[in-house]
Amino acid sequence: MALIRKKNAGFTGDTVQLDGVALRYDTGRDVFKALTLNLPQKSFYFLTGPSGAGKTSLLSLLYLAMRPAEGTLRLFGEDVTLASRTRLAELRRKLGVVFQDFRLLDHLSAFDNVALPLRVAGIGEAAVRRDVSELLKWVGLADLMDARPAILSGGQKQRVAIARAVVNRPSLILADEPTGNVDDKIAVRLIQLFVELHKLGSSVVVATHNESLTARFPFPRLHLENGTLSVLPPQVGAETG
Amino acid sequence: MMLAFRSDLPLRKTAAGHFVQWLVMVLVFMAALAATVHAYTDGLLTHWNRSVVGTLTVQIPPPAAENATPAASTSDAVTAALGALKTHPAVATANLIPRGKVLELLEPWLGSGAAVSDLPLPALIDVQLRDNDASAAAAVGKALSAAVPTAIVDDHRVWLSRLTNLAEGVGVVALTLMAMISGALALTVIFATRASLAEFVQVIEVLHLVGAKDDYIAGQFARRALSQGIIGGLCGLMLYVPTLGVIAWLGSRVERGMLPDITLPLTLWLTLAALPFVAGLLAMATAHMTVRRTLRTMM
Ligand SMILES: Nc1ncnc2c1ncn2[C@@H]1O[C@H](COP(=O)(O)OP(=O)(O)OP(=O)(O)O)[C@@H](O)[C@H]1O
Ligand SMILES: [Mg+2]
Repeated sequence: MALIRKKNAGFTGDTVQLDGVALRYDTGRDVFKALTLNLPQKSFYFLTGPSGAGKTSLLSLLYLAMRPAEGTLRLFGEDVTLASRTRLAELRRKLGVVFQDFRLLDHLSAFDNVALPLRVAGIGEAAVRRDVSELLKWVGLADLMDARPAILSGGQKQRVAIARAVVNRPSLILADEPTGNVDDKIAVRLIQLFVELHKLGSSVVVATHNESLTARFPFPRLHLENGTLSVLPPQVGAETG
Repeated sequence: MMLAFRSDLPLRKTAAGHFVQWLVMVLVFMAALAATVHAYTDGLLTHWNRSVVGTLTVQIPPPAAENATPAASTSDAVTAALGALKTHPAVATANLIPRGKVLELLEPWLGSGAAVSDLPLPALIDVQLRDNDASAAAAVGKALSAAVPTAIVDDHRVWLSRLTNLAEGVGVVALTLMAMISGALALTVIFATRASLAEFVQVIEVLHLVGAKDDYIAGQFARRALSQGIIGGLCGLMLYVPTLGVIAWLGSRVERGMLPDITLPLTLWLTLAALPFVAGLLAMATAHMTVRRTLRTMM
């Protein structure tokens, strides 16, 4: 698949720059404070940490669902706290997000769910049909294009969610437990999709609890625990693939 | 083409949406009736103005005697009155309305027949003034009562000005009604839109997350409101047409003379034809504004 379109011509800095970022929910508790982190372009990281450590929260900062309570977040070099609503939408179009709870639209077919990022960006229907069917075939859902999410299994929903995340050829892929509902064989195949996109130039962050994946793919790990983030080297070799 | 109506939001199914359509139907129906009444009253006024301005009607009562013959009303008094009128400088023409015509005018109220033709009727003189001004009418009245003290002068200006007031009042009511209808429509669209925004918060959030701009989302609501407005409006007109037919038929049964035939102007029909589209555009603009305003408070 020729997935990467040139989107950030001229931008050569780090894709993600977190500088002293604190994240706080309305309940008042800080998930983390003073987080500083740079993710270079064309990087691939796993994001690990115990349940409740804040992996989803960190990703939601990056996909611009939440704003930092303190500090600055730059995406593609742009300070998101200064961006207008329109600009935020434009930045989100460079992202591909797999949500932990999928967030598929129940009233739309698998096909229309995957088509959503293209349609909101105003891509023509011919291109939409071509790209979406190709991708759904790739994730093994060619026969379920017209199915509503309600009749899909957990793993099938997850694959629809992944297809939706990558259909717009994102510069930054943020995947939150993207393989939590599939067996290891499919999990490897799905991560392989992200690896392909990574080779074509996307930056990727995959939050996962799955040790066999972090062991199989030679990528560094961002480990979040007790409000602190540490970068761990690839875990490769711990297990054979 | 199906694609033109593709929507990412399940707006088609909302109860609030159906409500807008019904309301637009009723509002357009009422607006159409108000516009028609306004146009008819306007036409009536022009009609009266044209036929009545610059004229006086002089009544000469019949002699009071019980046994006087009807012919007695064409008496010296009439001759004197005609004489005084015809020589007055402000009068263009003065003609005695023949007794037959008077009976005809009274027919709607009194019916016809021997009993009626025996009634002692006043003599009526139709007077055309040279100029249409109040002082001329007063001067003619004065000269006339000098010649024939029993003569009564009807200056049409008086009842005409009352009718004008009435017609203008109807016009103001019609316009107020239209303004209130537009306001009611806007308010309904605002509440219906807010209701479906609240209903679809999750969907809208997902749309935002995959990169939708506020305009894109607002556009979906606006398109829906536009089609609801137009469909509801056309239904309202479909309700209006037979209603107008019934009213026209009832009107035609009223004795002629009481309700003159007024040709309703082309502008009325054009206005009516435009109503569904005006309603649609109003609904669309309101929905768009409401959505944009609400989205600004969202993620
Ligand atoms: N919407 C919210 N409002 C308030 N607190 C929240 C909210 N979402 C998450 N939290 C809290 O933030 C902390 C981090 O949660 P988060 O979902 O980011 O963890 P996680 O690392 O993704 O966990 P998991 O591995 O189970 O998905 C938790 O203590 C959680 O209770
Ligand atoms: Mg999580």
